[in-house]
Amino acid sequence: MTRARLWLLLPFGALALVVLLVPLPFAPAPVTRELTVVARQFAFEPPVLRVNRGDRVRLTLEASDVVHGLHVDEYGVDARVEPGIARRVEFVADRAGKFRYRCSVSCGPLHPFMTGELVVSPNLPFVRAVGLTLVVLAATLVSLRRLPPGGAPGTT
Amino acid sequence: MTERPTRTAGRTRGEIVALAALVVILVGFPAGVLLYQFVVRPAVADVRTIDLLARVPETGGITPETIKVAAGEPVRLRVSVPDVTHGIAIGPGLALDLGHVDPGQVKEVRVTFERPGRYTVYCNVWCSPNHWRMRSTILVYDPARPDAALPSDAPDPVIESLAARHVDLDAPHEAPAVPARPFASERGARVVDRLGPALPADLARPEWRRRHSPAQAWARLVAAGLARDEAWDAVAHLWVGALDGARLEAVATLFRKNCAACHGESGDGRGPGAAALAAQGIGQHGGAAAPKKPAAFTRAGSMLGGTSELYYAKVRRGGMGTGMPSWGPVLTRDETWMLVDYLWTLQFRPARAPRV
Ligand code: HEC
Ligand SMILES: [Cu+2]
Ligand SMILES: [Cu+2]
Repeated sequence: MTRARLWLLLPFGALALVVLLVPLPFAPAPVTRELTVVARQFAFEPPVLRVNRGDRVRLTLEASDVVHGLHVDEYGVDARVEPGIARRVEFVADRAGKFRYRCSVSCGPLHPFMTGELVVSPNLPFVRAVGLTLVVLAATLVSLRRLPPGGAPGTT
Repeated sequence: MTERPTRTAGRTRGEIVALAALVVILVGFPAGVLLYQFVVRPAVADVRTIDLLARVPETGGITPETIKVAAGEPVRLRVSVPDVTHGIAIGPGLALDLGHVDPGQVKEVRVTFERPGRYTVYCNVWCSPNHWRMRSTILVYDPARPDAALPSDAPDPVIESLAARHVDLDAPHEAPAVPARPFASERGARVVDRLGPALPADLARPEWRRRHSPAQAWARLVAAGLARDEAWDAVAHLWVGALDGARLEAVATLFRKNCAACHGESGDGRGPGAAALAAQGIGQHGGAAAPKKPAAFTRAGSMLGGTSELYYAKVRRGGMGTGMPSWGPVLTRDETWMLVDYLWTLQFRPARAPRV
């Protein structure tokens, strides 16, 4: 590899570092999120909870008609809540993805359909991986374009 | 000619055996189960079992509605629930709370009612807009005199005395003055200390405080020369003194289970039950201008103009068509006083109310 080509690739190396290390504007540092979920026959309000990975989630759980429960398998959260008595549940959203949560107390005929969704986003390593792939792709294209016609890469 | 198996009355032996087996299975099996359930089990059981079915009042409430039990006779109460989660407790004064009973679950408890009288099985988990009607009665009779009238509670001296003074429990009781800034009962403690013997003697007496409203006590203190704010702080201190530690924790639980659904956990009158009452039009009656909503114990205006004995009587009697249940059949007098003291805590020291 020629010295000139090495110099050429240097900016791409720097760019790759930036992609790996720069704090992304849409992924703020983990915060404590105070969320309120009201359970009623047969739905949760709001039906979708959005948090970022690493956030500490402080749920206030309320019930408006009968006893309900809230169960998130992946997070080991299981709480029951009585109308009039708010329950507080706390956990750290350390796993990214979409998780279904459901009512864990049989509360009537449509109880099996009483579910909601916990969305833990964004998937930061994924975003960075995409960025890194783009940088490598660009670097490859640039270095290929600079090759002498017909020459094989890496021949000196 | 053709060889046929032996026939009896037109059936082969094999058919008869099969038929017999079928009859044994179809009739004998259910009969056996019923026999076990209703004859064998009661015969070998050491105590009588009473099955209670708890449903929301719309579909029957707690059945049977009345149960007769002899005093001193141990019984097993077995509670099952077909619809939604209920909380089953029996009062007054038995400290008997089975907690949540979920659909499909059966909970049982062995009890011996020692004293003849009238007890109430009630639900202490909000379960329907009519949850508060979910009650049934246990009549405990004296086995020596099963036909004698049950001893009724001695008349309540507090309620008798209110009636003798023609106090109208349902009259509005708006305080003429309310504090201009939040209470600080801790500051009030210092004010009362400083006053020492200069504190009007009446105010130091718990019996006087039960019969008078905070607004009346405040007027006395202001008349004695205290600044208006300081006088409120002192009143706050005097009115919340009774509850602390384990007693506060216990009464907070009692309030949450039985009252918070309507009055709100913080006492602001905005529990989910309040919405259910409004949706049903309960409280809108007798040509009232506006329906009576669950009282807000955090509202200074109405709360400070009422007296402990008034609230005590209202809790025991109930709201006469407003949805405020009658708690006399469920709570002891002592529990009622503790609840009234707790209501003052919600007014005077909201931050101190324990949280779950
Ligand atoms: C089903 C709903 C409901 C429940 C449960 C309930 N209340 Fe009430 N309560 C009401 C309503 C409605 C009113 C207003 C009625 C009235 O003023 O006559 C009221 C009024 C009151 C008042 C009178 C307040 C005033 O300013 O005069 C007191 C005190 C009270 N409730 C205490 C309690 C306590 C203590 C409990 C629990 C043991 C309780 N309530 C449970 C609905 C409820
Ligand atoms: Cu549910
Ligand atoms: Cu119930």
